[in-house]
Amino acid sequence: MTEILVVDDSKVMRDMIVACLRAIPDTSFVHASSGLEAIERLSLAPFDLLVLDLNMPDIGGIEVLEFVRGQDTLRALPVLIVTTRGDDQSRERVMQAGATGFLPKPFTPDSIIAEVRAILTGRAESVA
Amino acid sequence: MTAPADLREFISAYLVEAEEHLAVANTQLLAVEAAQRSGSTNPRAVRETFRSLHTIKGLSAMVGVEPIVAIAHRMESFLRDFDRSGGTIPPRAIDALLKGVRAIEHRVTALGRGDSAAPPSDELLTELDSMGLAAGPIARMPEASLNLDPAILAKLAPFEVDQIFRGISQGMRALRAEFSPSPARAAEGLTINSVRERVATVADIVRVLPRATPITPDSPGGLSFVLLLLTRATNEVLVQAGGLAASAFHSIAREVTEADAALQPSIAEVLTNSADDQSFDTQTRRGVVRVDVNRLDEAMEGLSALIVTRFRLVRSIAAMNERGVNTRELSQIMTENSRQLRDLRAALVRVRMVPVSELLERVPLLVRGLCRATNRAVRLELEGGSAELDKSVSERLFPVIVHLVRNAVDHAIESPDERLRRGKPEEGLLRITCSARGSAHLEITISDDGRGIDRAAVAQKAGRTSPSDNADLLGLLCIPGLSTREIASTTSGRGMGMEIVKRTVVDELGGELEVASELGVGTTFTLRVPLTISIVDAFSFECGEQRFVVPVSMVDEIIEVDPSGVVHVPANDDGSPSVDIISRRGVAVPMIQLSQVFRLQPGAKASPKAIIVRRAGAPIAFAVDRMLGQQEVVIRPVNDVLVRAPGVSGATDLGDGRPTLVLDLVALSVSLNALPHALGASR
Repeated sequence: MTEILVVDDSKVMRDMIVACLRAIPDTSFVHASSGLEAIERLSLAPFDLLVLDLNMPDIGGIEVLEFVRGQDTLRALPVLIVTTRGDDQSRERVMQAGATGFLPKPFTPDSIIAEVRAILTGRAESVA
Repeated sequence: MTAPADLREFISAYLVEAEEHLAVANTQLLAVEAAQRSGSTNPRAVRETFRSLHTIKGLSAMVGVEPIVAIAHRMESFLRDFDRSGGTIPPRAIDALLKGVRAIEHRVTALGRGDSAAPPSDELLTELDSMGLAAGPIARMPEASLNLDPAILAKLAPFEVDQIFRGISQGMRALRAEFSPSPARAAEGLTINSVRERVATVADIVRVLPRATPITPDSPGGLSFVLLLLTRATNEVLVQAGGLAASAFHSIAREVTEADAALQPSIAEVLTNSADDQSFDTQTRRGVVRVDVNRLDEAMEGLSALIVTRFRLVRSIAAMNERGVNTRELSQIMTENSRQLRDLRAALVRVRMVPVSELLERVPLLVRGLCRATNRAVRLELEGGSAELDKSVSERLFPVIVHLVRNAVDHAIESPDERLRRGKPEEGLLRITCSARGSAHLEITISDDGRGIDRAAVAQKAGRTSPSDNADLLGLLCIPGLSTREIASTTSGRGMGMEIVKRTVVDELGGELEVASELGVGTTFTLRVPLTISIVDAFSFECGEQRFVVPVSMVDEIIEVDPSGVVHVPANDDGSPSVDIISRRGVAVPMIQLSQVFRLQPGAKASPKAIIVRRAGAPIAFAVDRMLGQQEVVIRPVNDVLVRAPGVSGATDLGDGRPTLVLDLVALSVSLNALPHALGASR
């Protein structure tokens, strides 16, 4: 079972992401509505993928990402950034901060599924 | 593999969330404006506005509402500039932003109606585009002398450091608290979200940051959260409220020097506006589920069906009992079931309740707009309290409040010049309070310190004698058509549309309306309305020249009565109504003349109709004169003992201002105990 943590302060957005990714077999989802809640959940239970929004009220996605990459236990966790700020500059900043993938909103069900599949497959290969 | 998700399905959830973000944007923009008018700034409100529009843009893009994406994108991009340059927005730009929010609101409303969202006008887009240039240079971090780890300090925004300084010089304690999450704490309900909510009840949370820690038994996740707080509470209170250990709190204030205090000249102004409190409100809203009202109505309908089924169960148990079956255990279960249904109904009613503060949320924006349009200066005081009322009451009440507020600003409150001449403060006062009265009513007062109502002038316009008391005055104000502009300008404009206010508050909601006014001093309107009402889909009909309604859910069928096919059964001597027999698809159905039940003169029956209901499964017809239509009606309870009778479940208003009885035809047929005899006689 692939455990995915979906982080966005908008419930509609989380629901949409989950609705899209359900098409991938053997996945289960946990929601977090803020960056802080995401970090807390990551420190308490293992996940296979973090789907992360950038713009959130308490701490932003970049800060979450930086925290994750600074933790020994979380360093290898794949992180897909999903953001309304889809410009090249944002992409560069996000990738430099250690993101595994970058997907601008609006995305289609196909595009997010493809992105997540690529990340999960890549991870399986690197483990093997 | 399941079918690919269709994101258009999320449109209704999107609309609800978009409305919420629009409300936040409006409130925060007004907070920015209020702060700036008093010579201060509110960078946190600027950031909240930015975030709301950013979220609206992202969501709109996902569900493909391009016109809103276009508007929100422009607003978002220049708000980002204002956020970076320290959180000041020029008045011209605030106007443009409010205009943009309104433009989005219109489109959200249109989508809610099932229409499409119109593309934004070039004019609006150009105006928004031209605002981005107004932002100043990027703000500099203020000199800080706080007892904080430089790594933490580096993560704070300038306005957050500013907020800490302001708090300290206001005599608040600035503290750093730590919380380490663990599975054991999570099991006790202690998570960062719950800790933050609890701490927020006794302290202002400036910022929460994560910090990596060595993995220890106390911190198994290698994580702790640093909460930066401002508070007047003692450590004891904090420990109790926050669920944190006493050792978790550390002061972050260095000795405050006079020089530090001098750096913060605008503290007093900041504390007099509650802008910061408002931004915390948006955080406490978490854990709330948004539900479409239609879904709640569906749940309520489901409950009604359950109650009907229960009614049938009770009857069939009674029938078993008559046959000599021991039904004691069944009866006990039914008693339990009855209590559960009552509880479930109460729970569903509670779900429909919204805080009264939501009703008043939009008033500041309304007052602002009216002041602009009429060149008035008005200070608004809102006292919402914690009362809750049914969403449908709230929706009906809102136009009434808009009406009374508009009259107060447009007509009652004098122009600043005139007020000064009369020895009043230049700024008029408009005060709105809401408070619960008992467990079932809400009292709303809307008062102004304007010119008051000139009774003699109102009376003259209405062609009546001068009212002797406030009740008479209200009667005059609510005369339909007493709404000439002349009245509006010579008195306080209270005549305008007051009959609509009365119709909603008194006739539709079954509440009370009062006015108190003193010439030259001001006017107060007091509204008392029930916290809940019930709305049903109903047929209206006429019988004996009276109008009645009956809930659609209760009606089995409405048929034409062929007078030649009616068999008359003579009435009993005891005065109970006679019963006729009609044939419906070959089956004999007893028919009761409703006009006889209510002792009404039978009306002209060009083509008489019969409403058929089922009692314990058997059809019973009620003859009526004429069907009028089908509509949603608000049912209010009838408390008058003279009207309260079996078969009358309440009263409503069909828009003509006259009370109309809502009939429960099933209960009515049960109460007519002559029926079984009459039926027996016909066989």
